[in-house]
Amino acid sequence: MDSMNLILCAVAAASLDICVLVLILTAYHERTTGNKRWNRITSFMELADYNTVYPLGCDEILIGRHASADIRLADLSVSRYHAILTVSNGVWTITDAGSTSGILINGVPVSQAQLRENDIIKLGNRQLIFRRRRDISVR
Amino acid sequence: MSGNTSSYIFSSIFVLIAHIGMLLNVYFNGNYDSLTQVIILSGAVIILDIAYFLAMLFFRQNTFTVDFLLILILNMSVIFQSCFGEVVFDYKHYITCIVALAACRGGYLLCRNHKWLGEKRKFFYIGILILMVVIVTLTGSRSMWISLGSITIQPSEFIKPLFILACATSITEQQKKHKILCFHIVYENIALFGLTAAICLLQWWCRDLGSLPTFVGIYVCGFLLRICYPKAKFSKKKLIGAGAALLAVAIVGMRFAPAYVQDRLHVDIWADKNGNGYQQSQALIAIANGGWFGKGPGHGELHNVFAHKNDIVFATICEEWGLLYALMMVLAILILIALPLINPPRSYFHGTMSAGISAAFTVQMALNIFGSCNLIPFTGVTIPFISTGGSSLMISGFMAGMLVACQSPVMRSPHLNEQPKQRRIYPQRRNAV
Amino acid sequence: MKSIKRCQRVISLFIVAFILGMIVLVVKIQREASFYMINSDKLCLGMVYDKNGDVLFDGTGENEYPDGHFIDIGNLIGDDKGQMDNTLVAKNLKRLNNYSFTAGLKESGGKAAIYTTLDHTANRAVYDAFAGNDGCAVAYNYKTGEILVCTSLPSLDVTKGYDDIENFRSGTLISKNMYKTVPGSTQKVSTVIAALEIMGPNKLFSKRFNCTGSYHNKGGNDIDCHQSYGHGEQDIQQAVENSCNPFFAQLVEDDDFPLNKIKNVFNDMGYAINADEDDNYFDIDGIKCEKASTTLNDPYEFKTQWGCIGQGDTMVSPIQLMMWESAIANENGKMTMPYLIDHVTDVNGKEKDKAKTQTSDRIFTSDTASTVKEILLTNGQNHYAYSIPGYNIGVKSGTAQVFEGAQENSLLVGFVDDPSLPVAFCVVIENKNNTWITTDSIVKVMLDSLSRSNN
Repeated sequence: MDSMNLILCAVAAASLDICVLVLILTAYHERTTGNKRWNRITSFMELADYNTVYPLGCDEILIGRHASADIRLADLSVSRYHAILTVSNGVWTITDAGSTSGILINGVPVSQAQLRENDIIKLGNRQLIFRRRRDISVR
Repeated sequence: MSGNTSSYIFSSIFVLIAHIGMLLNVYFNGNYDSLTQVIILSGAVIILDIAYFLAMLFFRQNTFTVDFLLILILNMSVIFQSCFGEVVFDYKHYITCIVALAACRGGYLLCRNHKWLGEKRKFFYIGILILMVVIVTLTGSRSMWISLGSITIQPSEFIKPLFILACATSITEQQKKHKILCFHIVYENIALFGLTAAICLLQWWCRDLGSLPTFVGIYVCGFLLRICYPKAKFSKKKLIGAGAALLAVAIVGMRFAPAYVQDRLHVDIWADKNGNGYQQSQALIAIANGGWFGKGPGHGELHNVFAHKNDIVFATICEEWGLLYALMMVLAILILIALPLINPPRSYFHGTMSAGISAAFTVQMALNIFGSCNLIPFTGVTIPFISTGGSSLMISGFMAGMLVACQSPVMRSPHLNEQPKQRRIYPQRRNAV
Repeated sequence: MKSIKRCQRVISLFIVAFILGMIVLVVKIQREASFYMINSDKLCLGMVYDKNGDVLFDGTGENEYPDGHFIDIGNLIGDDKGQMDNTLVAKNLKRLNNYSFTAGLKESGGKAAIYTTLDHTANRAVYDAFAGNDGCAVAYNYKTGEILVCTSLPSLDVTKGYDDIENFRSGTLISKNMYKTVPGSTQKVSTVIAALEIMGPNKLFSKRFNCTGSYHNKGGNDIDCHQSYGHGEQDIQQAVENSCNPFFAQLVEDDDFPLNKIKNVFNDMGYAINADEDDNYFDIDGIKCEKASTTLNDPYEFKTQWGCIGQGDTMVSPIQLMMWESAIANENGKMTMPYLIDHVTDVNGKEKDKAKTQTSDRIFTSDTASTVKEILLTNGQNHYAYSIPGYNIGVKSGTAQVFEGAQENSLLVGFVDDPSLPVAFCVVIENKNNTWITTDSIVKVMLDSLSRSNN
């Protein structure tokens, strides 16, 4: 009885352990498919500087000079919290978040605008391009 | 279930294997009179497993790991609860588990679109206020229970998910600043603070001191995530200051707590092991008795002690299944909470929501487990998913559903949806530079 | 994205905090599980053995023992019935329980046991030597600290149960060695130590006081000597040998012997002076053992003088008296701390907690120790060579008046100055006038049986 108890306990514990492990692996697997799905939602877009690429990883992205901003542009002409990018139905929208210097899309000042591919966004002295991602092959 | 079919089949099989392993343990080691009870238990658990796996096919989600973990944990708890003292299938707990699973689906469907939820914000506040009024008026003599015939419900449990939703925030909301004098203020943060204060006062008044830390935990979590935005400069110094202030409030609160709270805070359970310390001392003895591997399902002694199925359930499991197994059970719940770390939520609203849920779950588990083991004062809270109790199990299921929603969000604005879809992207893209 | 990262950080904060709590919990349960188990209704106690493997306590209750087998150590070893708190078993239930967190509670075949330092044969012989008279005797190895003999009468046979508890005589349920009693003239050893510490040997030996049978002290009271004709003029050696009260009363009044310095020396020796300490205890393997207390107010006061002579408010436990002897016998002024448990075995039979010899802080100088040793050895040779032959012993006797003088207890403390038998002892016989038993006869039995088992 004693050794039986021990063995069965070990079996039950081991099966639970393996189950939890498999579920963790499944979660990692899901992450890959989740990323793919996210790319579809965001229409495979990204923001790019002349030397930096900013991926768009969630549906509300704060752009600004402050350290807590998702995309940080370290330039005094950019407000601390300058603009917010949001996505819905696959369309990205940029909204002014009370900045001092405003937003220019392709040279036109706007307070809110839907973004199209290859739009040039100017925040203060910084320019960003809204473009299709280059690092992935679109399937 | 696109793309991950094989891993889902594996997951289902391993969940089944984990349950079968437990059932084998019950069959060979269990304390039962007739085999029927074991067969009923096994049948019920396996049928519920398979039924849920099949039901999951009808939902289009990004991730199903939460669901697998949920069914794993809930059926584990069915097996645990059916074995205390003697193997007798616990119908009541089984049914509440099914209710919890349904609540999980409900939670998922309700919470997956955060933009829609964001617009319904005011209803959370209204809901909480209604529940608070209900508590004040309907619960008898400062208790936390409402009895409706044979069913008793605990309205404070229902406040939890609403409060988490109220604490959750999107970045856009946080940017709606208003300038009063020289301060930039987000009205909602003030409203939330008021709400928290009101809930805490109410809990204090009801003597429901078990839920109080849960709400404080959720609020601290929401607060941490909110303060980063309204004011650009919220330095670490201020954060530490706020933490210290909170601690001071807690200490002062303990100092001036009513007598019955003081009693609970300063109980030497071994000196008073037949009085106030009875439950805890028996729980600790039971854990010691169980050792690493337990005495076998149904062979424990702790089922003679009051609240062995909810308040001191950790000790009851330890005694019958062993500390090792109980720790793994806790680990499974922790992984459920930790899933947002593996699969990050895609919006800040869902991120704050999952943080709130993790706060609620960990605080509850900590209060229950550490409380019953005399590390901290003993309060009568439940371990999510494991303890019995209709309201608590249902709400835990609902919150698990919210976790599912966080990982399978729908990014659709309720208003944009009404407009024809082609209008924007394709024609304009051709015109682009 | 930073905003999402922030959420994840908060989640991990909560999870990490919880896991830390769990780790603390598991460690705590691991460490305290044995303690939890002794609060359980069910115990599976093991055995207590003496140093030769003789059983002193049987927790299994499975074996038969001769009638009265345990009676000489009944109130020292005790049992788990809860009637005696300050006993070896009651204080060491945790170590005696056949339980470990990994192995669980073993109902049969567990190997948990306590191996004590006691010598059951010698202890039994000493118990029998009391011939039913009340009293107590304790002896230990002053080099190592092993308690060899520790018996207290009246005692009880724990296997007989407590049904008859109303008829137990007073003092049955305690080992009197652990509790304070009036030391009588054995207190003069402490006074001599204090005098040597303060004046040094040359000055002390130059002091001579006259005894005429009674001394009218400077406070106006009479200090009587037990020798009503008086001892005449004596030095300290003679006064110790005669146990002369007037000599010591005059010594206390002497200007070279200031009271505050006496207080300091007594404090170092462990006395609670003027009852200012409540928790004045030694811990002997969990057993609480009282130390000593006295009243010292004014050198001319009757009570203070008697305090230095050994009556009045002065109270010392026999074990404390014995421990001072170790500091003298070792000639280093450090008491060897006594212990009862040599080692224990856990449920799997693994040996652990092997005892180590420990000494106290220095309570007086080595020179003082050597001088006192010489005084006591001379006393032993001059007065006890006949009644305790064959041993080079240093002793001091005492007669303590208790119950307002209605009863006289006889005490004898001392040590054997022999590297092959390093034993310090203290023997108390209560109500000595009712019996022909003497302390030196008990010491003789004790030393004889100890030296027999030694060889």
